[in-house]
Amino acid sequence: MTTLWDTTGSAVVKALAAERRTGGGVTSGLALTLVVVMEEKDTADVEAAVSIAASRHPMRVLMVIRHNIEAPVPRLDAEVSIGGRYGPGETVVLRMYGRLALHAESVTLPLLAPDAPVVAWWYSETPEVIAYDPLGVFADRRITNAIRDADPAASLHQRAADYAPGDTDLTWTAITPWRAALAAAFDTVRVRTNAVTVFGNPVDPSAQLLAGWLSSRLGIAVPVEKAEGKYISSVSVDFADGHQVTLRNDGHKLVMVRPNQADSIAPFPSRSTGDLLAEELRRLDPDESYADALGAVTGLTGLNDRPAVRTHIWHDPALANES
Amino acid sequence: MTDSTTEASAEDTEGNSAPVETPADDLVEVNPLRDPRDRRLPRVPEPCALVVFGVTGDLARKKLLPAIYDLANRGLLPADFVLLGFARRDWGDGDFESLAKKSAQEHARTEWNEDVWARLSGDIMFVPGSFDDDDAFDTLAKTLEDLSESHGIKGNAAFYLSIPPAMFPTVLQQMERTHLASNAHSGGWRRVVVEKPFGHDLDSARELNKLVDDVFTANDVFRIDHYLGKETVQNLMALRFANQLFEPVWNANFVDSVQITMAEDVGIAGRAVFYDATGAARDVLQNHLLQLLALTAMEEPVEFTAEAIQTEKLKVLRAITLPQDLTRYAVRGQYDQGWQAGERVVAYTGEKDVPADSTTETYAAVRLGIDTRRWAGVPFYLRTGKRLPRRVTEIAVLFKKAPHLPFSHTDTEELGHNQLVIRVQPDEGVTLKFGSKVPGSLMEVRDVSMDFLYGEAFTEASPEAYERLILDVLLGDSTLFPRNAEVEASWRVLDPLEEFWAGQQPEKYRAGEWGPKASDEMLGGDGRAWRRP
Repeated sequence: MTTLWDTTGSAVVKALAAERRTGGGVTSGLALTLVVVMEEKDTADVEAAVSIAASRHPMRVLMVIRHNIEAPVPRLDAEVSIGGRYGPGETVVLRMYGRLALHAESVTLPLLAPDAPVVAWWYSETPEVIAYDPLGVFADRRITNAIRDADPAASLHQRAADYAPGDTDLTWTAITPWRAALAAAFDTVRVRTNAVTVFGNPVDPSAQLLAGWLSSRLGIAVPVEKAEGKYISSVSVDFADGHQVTLRNDGHKLVMVRPNQADSIAPFPSRSTGDLLAEELRRLDPDESYADALGAVTGLTGLNDRPAVRTHIWHDPALANES
Repeated sequence: MTDSTTEASAEDTEGNSAPVETPADDLVEVNPLRDPRDRRLPRVPEPCALVVFGVTGDLARKKLLPAIYDLANRGLLPADFVLLGFARRDWGDGDFESLAKKSAQEHARTEWNEDVWARLSGDIMFVPGSFDDDDAFDTLAKTLEDLSESHGIKGNAAFYLSIPPAMFPTVLQQMERTHLASNAHSGGWRRVVVEKPFGHDLDSARELNKLVDDVFTANDVFRIDHYLGKETVQNLMALRFANQLFEPVWNANFVDSVQITMAEDVGIAGRAVFYDATGAARDVLQNHLLQLLALTAMEEPVEFTAEAIQTEKLKVLRAITLPQDLTRYAVRGQYDQGWQAGERVVAYTGEKDVPADSTTETYAAVRLGIDTRRWAGVPFYLRTGKRLPRRVTEIAVLFKKAPHLPFSHTDTEELGHNQLVIRVQPDEGVTLKFGSKVPGSLMEVRDVSMDFLYGEAFTEASPEAYERLILDVLLGDSTLFPRNAEVEASWRVLDPLEEFWAGQQPEKYRAGEWGPKASDEMLGGDGRAWRRP
């Protein structure tokens, strides 16, 4: 690992090349560059997540930590490492102080792996408008996490209003097992669906997205009813021929209850942020199903038809706070 | 009129058990929650049962049962699934479950998860009986019928015949008698999985195919060639048909020769009786090597479907020609005693249960041609053997040398053929070998290789071949399974070779060497040499 204090972007590029030569690493395996926008306090969580994801996708990880923008003198500190505690990939931690934080792209652009897709991930709070952050403008895929926003319930509406193809949210990734189980439950049914209800926490973004997805696929309104539990506790489906199927989250098990049949139980492991991130990195093209679900939650249409490219909007938090 | 009234009143008296007729516009054709754009959702088979015959065998314990656990662990088995074992043991469900648990724990690829097992173990059943026991098969048929209701498998079942081919007629006859193989009778689908060997020559293969295809429909027969389940073999098609870079040079104008190697470092390890009657050519060349050849040489399929790919593979297999001079271009060998990886190993004829005068080959190499416009004149060298220095399977495409080199002869002395090597196992990946200048003031060109390692670029562990193939059987996708016509076409290639070899003594080679001398001379005579894998 190389640590650079009060350095410049070009020195970081050189340090990375040197580390690669001495470490015996080769470029052959880089599939993407992941830019993580985070805060100092998140370091441990991000490290844990990145090391899981890096073991499944060979990538270069740039962790951008912005420190107090009001600092009078801009400064850049960097840590360059290959292998080690962040997993098998290449990792650069960039700490930016002062006004440099508003020009983070000037440091990250030369560090992006040549011609490989760029994924931006806001670990904590996503900017209200992604185009405010130049790191999001340069990314081909953007991963947000509504559950960590100040007001998760309102957050999905902001994400929908600001949506561009290539955005996804980890609260959506989290419900893939639910969606897989529901799709499997529908596999053997050949009749129309009359009603579906999601039971759980009505303000949880995951519960809302699950209801949104069901509603976008089935063409009926799907309510989220208040029930025990922080997230999603069960989903019940009424079919046109009168039979009802219920899927219930029972700790680490998913129980499917059907009439005249023994309950079927499937494993339902809880997944870490690293697992979710790894799932996100599997696909680097826009996720149309997410856009449809988000549209159904918020009532907005045509999300998939929006342009995929954003233009940077200059946004100075210092000025924004004054006004 | 009267009929319908009586029917209606009959329903009334029966009370609420009568089914309610669903109006036509309440029916849907497809699952509304499945969307081809939604690639996060896994492909999960319909509810079904997997019935394994010979469940106590080696293959079942080491590959099959662990693969089923792995599938369950990855959430790829349907919610309604039953694993049904059939063998001649005085067992209950519990005994079989504990055997399955033990083999899954020992050999599974994914980590152990007690919850997953707890769920799976409730769906594991056992029917005891021997294959000629009518009662046992009646019980099996009855059990499957009962499961249709109680476990919601809807009559769907796949039968895995993990048994010696000699037992096939008996088992298939029993299945026909009890209607186990009938799609119509079961109300769902019925499929059968057959392991190699698919016969020992063309006639026996035809007989076997007829036997299986008569009981099941030809489309419901899945022949497992586990090489085709490997990630790199599937990648071969992506490499060739998804890229613009390789296909233009993939023909006789640019390709000098192709070498396909499947080497094993082990001996015959407990398979003496089977192996001595079979030999390397029937065991490996006829199926694995010819399948790899077919995938390397086939034309582009019109679409990526099982049928289209099988059509192209069959065309290539039928275009294969044998060399005129078999004495030179068909070599077989047998390992002698020697040293391998620092250990002394015995000769083939010294292995347990092998007759001392056995003439069975443990090594086979042959030069084949393909009579098509694309490949005419390009030799395909195939070799396989046991007790070779290392375990490796690869396909090497060697390109012609540049027609003119502007460098002086001494500059390019170390420059060989450009090569594209597809490494099937181990270290799955692709290597490209080309000439590059040696740094310095002199113009010297030498070979360097560029490696693409699957495990590095896609670090997600590739599924085990059996996992993939079992899943495909349950999904009904036959893309990765050879059809009966392919098996017959392969035997048509091998039969003349076996005929030529019959009665000859195989050449001896020392264990731990790359095969007999005659094999090196076969390429040496053509001005070529085997690649050292």
